[in-house]
Amino acid sequence: MFGYLWRRLRYLPVSLLLVLFITFSVLRLTGNPIDIYLDMNRTPEQVEALTQKLHLDRPLVVQFGIYLRDVVKGDFGESLQFGVPALEVVLDRLGNTIELVVVALGLAVVLGIAGGAIAALRRDKTADFLISFLAVLGQSMPSFWLGILLIQFFALRLGWLPTSGQGGLAHIVLPALTLAAYLIPNFILITRTGVIETSNEQFVVTATAKGIPAARVLLVHIMPNTLNPILSFLGLQLGKLIGGSIITESIFAWPGIGRLMVSSIFQRDIPVVIAAICIMCIAIVLANLLVDVALSLLDPRIREA
Amino acid sequence: MWAPLKGLLATAAIASAVSAQAENLSVGLASFPESLQPGLSTNVSLNVNRQMMDGLTARDNAGMIVPNLAETWELVDDTTMRFHLREGVKFHDGSTFSAEDVKYTLDHALDPKNAYGMLGRISAITEVRIADPKTVDIVTAKPFPTLPVALADILIEPRLYAEKLGAEGQRRRPVGTGPFEFIRYIPGDRIELKANPNYWAGKPSIDSMTLRSIPEAATRISSLLAGETQIVEEVPVDLVQQVENNSALKANSVNTSVGLVLTYDVTKPPFDNPRVREALDYAVDKELILKEILKGKGEVLQGQLLTSNTFGHNPAVKARAFDPARAKKLLAEAGYPNGFSTSISTMSGRYLSDVDIANAVSGMLNDVGVKVSINVMEPGIFLKNLGSPARELGPIYMIGWYSFGDADFAMTWYTGSNRRTAWTNAEFDKLFSTARSTNDAAGRKAAYARMGEILHAENPSMFLFGVPTIYGVSKKLSGFQAPSDRVLRLNRAKLN
Repeated sequence: MFGYLWRRLRYLPVSLLLVLFITFSVLRLTGNPIDIYLDMNRTPEQVEALTQKLHLDRPLVVQFGIYLRDVVKGDFGESLQFGVPALEVVLDRLGNTIELVVVALGLAVVLGIAGGAIAALRRDKTADFLISFLAVLGQSMPSFWLGILLIQFFALRLGWLPTSGQGGLAHIVLPALTLAAYLIPNFILITRTGVIETSNEQFVVTATAKGIPAARVLLVHIMPNTLNPILSFLGLQLGKLIGGSIITESIFAWPGIGRLMVSSIFQRDIPVVIAAICIMCIAIVLANLLVDVALSLLDPRIREA
Repeated sequence: MWAPLKGLLATAAIASAVSAQAENLSVGLASFPESLQPGLSTNVSLNVNRQMMDGLTARDNAGMIVPNLAETWELVDDTTMRFHLREGVKFHDGSTFSAEDVKYTLDHALDPKNAYGMLGRISAITEVRIADPKTVDIVTAKPFPTLPVALADILIEPRLYAEKLGAEGQRRRPVGTGPFEFIRYIPGDRIELKANPNYWAGKPSIDSMTLRSIPEAATRISSLLAGETQIVEEVPVDLVQQVENNSALKANSVNTSVGLVLTYDVTKPPFDNPRVREALDYAVDKELILKEILKGKGEVLQGQLLTSNTFGHNPAVKARAFDPARAKKLLAEAGYPNGFSTSISTMSGRYLSDVDIANAVSGMLNDVGVKVSINVMEPGIFLKNLGSPARELGPIYMIGWYSFGDADFAMTWYTGSNRRTAWTNAEFDKLFSTARSTNDAAGRKAAYARMGEILHAENPSMFLFGVPTIYGVSKKLSGFQAPSDRVLRLNRAKLN
């Protein structure tokens, strides 16, 4: 198991380094912190101080080297806009994004698998068409539009849910649904295909022939065998989900890491952007690892490979 | 399955309705500070910190300078201004406000080590002297007529508290003398405040206040429509109707001190020819754009940079009337009977309807034979180019210059030393230095009036609009007016 973990994790520093370098260079090359942070009426002393602090008079590679040296020590630097440690700013928000992503993922898995199973069992009947239709619709709708529609309907028309912000349980429903809407169709289609394929397997036919109730056949014999593609897909989609959270967080004023990143990119607040990207990279890698471990526990074939 | 869920949601809705009945004012902010540290160089942070803190001076909603912690001030000599402080003022931690706190704050801000964001505003200060506990003398290197204007953005911090806890303490729990006291700050989400019962100008009638971050305009307006917020900032022009159609709401528009202009690169043809610049000014129907795109909010700049609410605005100078025939004639005289092609660089969403305005201008110029393409740039890249000597922004760029109510802050961008345009004018520069280094208000006004004439005659930029800012407000709220500097003043606001 440790060998397996090591094989999976050994390239993490390399990918992080690449991500750091690209982010740093792109942000530094496309915007000068002096023009962005300092007031228009800045004094030469202020310019000088910031130049010294960020080593703006040195070549880009040197700047990156100095920055990297601090990052390795766990010091991502101070947020240029706000003089607060960048990592602190990011960690403050991380929990909110995780909360949103986990709830969205939960919604997507539950609704997706349920929808997919129903569609498969009612194959080529009305329910199947309806679910497939909704799936295609959900996938084609841009999330900012869907989000605003949901606000209009549930918050303004019905008055059931708050429009935005963070608070009780009610606050997370709409953003999580918006974020999940993109994934649900995929889960539906994968589950549907999986269930239909597995239903044709001989052991299922045998189970049915033995007179086992249909519900038990589905839950005990069919579903476990369709979990594998669903889990793999889940791992693949995590990155997308975190990417999608950027838009969802902006629409619903959700104080997460995605929104922080957008505003920091506009402000060329490199320490915050890099800290956020690092944390996200690590989160995605770890989550994928978790999925793989789960897969290998579920499926002995993977463990042995 | 639906009934229990519906019940749960309904409970949640009732719970939020009940909490709204307390005297809590909720405000939806378009931009929200990532830190509460005083002195960050943005109006965004000033907007929040001003609720908790006061300055020596303040601006009112119209942008005029009014007394705040200083009751009066006068010149002792050309470079010394004496401020008489308000008595009996207490900070939220119970300590008494005095000259010590003023000196501490200004010295702190002036020390380059502290990287105080608003330092540029007050860097002319050389010394802060305590004359007695209620009097402070501020000495500047040269005469500094805009000192009271600049001081409106410097918030006074309590010396004892700040020395004990440092910037860290002020950031975690800001303490000031302002109308509201800090309760809680949730980064990226909200800041909660309560009324300061001992506020020197009287306890605010709102018991508590929540400033919420709602960056997306459509969501912000929805929160107002749903009654979750009673004030929202920055209603986009196309959503104003939605607010006004609701009988419980109104839209409050106010002119800011931002002058939106199109600046020409006068080093290269065709804009090196003053006649071409004048021709283009005739070709654009600014009144029509104001009416159609800005829905009549804001104002047309009167052939000069300064908005009409700015000190130094010249009321005698008027915008050129829309006259495409004359534009064509001038273009022909300048040697461009068939027009030419050019481009406008602009940021998107920085100023109200900026890209729409650029497109409308482009369409009108097209009618006189000038083909314009619009180049929308990412703000970081735009500002980088704007600040660099090469200014690679193409033949025309769109920008809004703030005046903060005084000509000095905006006119500086047209001077030879600080220019954001290749255009220079020796008389303009001389007048600018004269106006900056005298305390004689009438003399300053005359200098700025002449500078307005020069700008009008030479057209270094096409002067478009004084940009409005629009607030969506619940009719239940009284005592609130839209502020021209986008810093909310809520100590007199009342919920009925």
